[in-house]
Amino acid sequence: MHVKPSDVPPAVQLRDLSVRFGEVVALDHVSLDVLRGEVVAFVGPNGAGKSSLLRAMTGLVPTTGDVLINGRALRVARASGVAYVAQRSLARWDLPLTVEDVVVCGRQGHRATLSRPSSRDRAAARDCLALLGVQGLTHRRIGELSGGQAQRVLLARALVQDPDIIVLDEPFAGVDPGAVHGLADVLMKLNDEGVTVLCALHEIDIAAKHFARIVALQRRVLADGPPSQVLNGDGIAALYSLPVDHAQSDA
Amino acid sequence: MDLAAWILEPFSLSFMQRALVSGVAVGISAPVIGVWAVTKRLVYLTDGMSHAILAGVVAAAALGIAFTIGGVVVALLMAALVVFLVLRLGLPEDSAIGVVSQGLFAAGVVGATLLGDPRALAHILFGNPLTVTWPEVAAQGLLAIIVVAGCAWLAPAFAMAAFDPAHARTIGVRVGALDALLVISLALVVVIGLSTVGVLMCITLITAPAVAARLLTGSFTTAMLTASILGVLASIAGLLAAYHISWPVGPTIALIAIAEVALTSLIVLIRRGPAWRAQRAVTQERRREGVAHSGHSPRNSSE
Repeated sequence: MHVKPSDVPPAVQLRDLSVRFGEVVALDHVSLDVLRGEVVAFVGPNGAGKSSLLRAMTGLVPTTGDVLINGRALRVARASGVAYVAQRSLARWDLPLTVEDVVVCGRQGHRATLSRPSSRDRAAARDCLALLGVQGLTHRRIGELSGGQAQRVLLARALVQDPDIIVLDEPFAGVDPGAVHGLADVLMKLNDEGVTVLCALHEIDIAAKHFARIVALQRRVLADGPPSQVLNGDGIAALYSLPVDHAQSDA
Repeated sequence: MDLAAWILEPFSLSFMQRALVSGVAVGISAPVIGVWAVTKRLVYLTDGMSHAILAGVVAAAALGIAFTIGGVVVALLMAALVVFLVLRLGLPEDSAIGVVSQGLFAAGVVGATLLGDPRALAHILFGNPLTVTWPEVAAQGLLAIIVVAGCAWLAPAFAMAAFDPAHARTIGVRVGALDALLVISLALVVVIGLSTVGVLMCITLITAPAVAARLLTGSFTTAMLTASILGVLASIAGLLAAYHISWPVGPTIALIAIAEVALTSLIVLIRRGPAWRAQRAVTQERRREGVAHSGHSPRNSSE
């Protein structure tokens, strides 16, 4: 049966989504759609709700409103085809684990509850590391990785889940400048293969250069569109509460 | 007396055989669960729990039920109270643990005194495996097997939840259930260790061999194995010291476990040498520049 594009639900639909932590409102009635295969950057100052938005899309925070993934209500993120890459600094890089140990974690949803990783799981992990060009790190201790290497390892852990949508929180934070664009190229390559990529970013220059759609957040959606429309002088000034002339020089 | 006879002769006696099996059960199970307590930074919680469990043991004695049941119930009660104080009242975690555990410990001491047998209180606090019975040994052995098998089987899940709990939740791992299982297992081990090293010294046997093993090894599997070997060595050495030179068993086992950490630290310092320290300085500099990683790196903004 032929499926018309209009019959395909968006990858992500947020309807009147709010997130509160006690009295603090992190997100206030946000509604937006992300189409399949889009690559979207969420930008905004600290406290704008970027991380909360991503965590809401992965079921990590209680919300009001609706989160639909591929037209269905969000269940466990992996079961809905969503892979989540949290801020790298929140993981425990001091633990006695190898790169393969970390990547194989992503296979948990592919096997029975509480079962141990199989040789097939480990092979899948090595394949994903190879896809990202870091197969040489397979048996490396995680505490020995550079920022760019560690981010690729987390990306491999997401890829091994075989997701439709990858959600990344600050993937470029702490990555040295030489590795930033290589990492961005990896994300675009995944996008070329049909994966929807959603990133929370602080780096406006990277967002402008690599992402086709920018959503500016300040607890609500302030602006939504291509970089030229959202990240111009006025847009940045409104987002970061800067004088327009100062924002124009940044843009 | 030659060395072999010095080691083996005490264990020809029936009470020493029971003490040996009891010591091995605790010497394996406490360090194995200790590897995860250390990894999850639950040492202070475990220390508090080992004190609080006194209240459960005394209550169980008063009610005529198994110590294990009383111990586990009070451990869970303590965990629930700590969670309540932290989440609902916003108390710092260490303050909540300190208040709840010391409150329950004080209640346990008062209860034990009212029960009228000060020897029983000393027994619970410091242990004495020389008085343990075969049924108690069997129960200890069974619980130790359950704890060790569970830790070995769940090691990948524990590691996953410890490394990145947020990601683990998104792939369907029940991180809260694993944490609860860990707390229950720690409570079980403290109860198992009650008659061997006592509730006060059990924290040492849970923590010290695990710390030494983490210094020596590079994976969770080898850490659990090494920690259990160190725990058994400490238990046996403690029993021998008690037999030959009349030292108190529980504190002696704890002292030997601490000595293992000191010795291991020395070995690691010598093995790493100046080259390692120079490399570490470079790595720390890179971390300050935001290039490399550590679990102790400052967290980025989270919203």
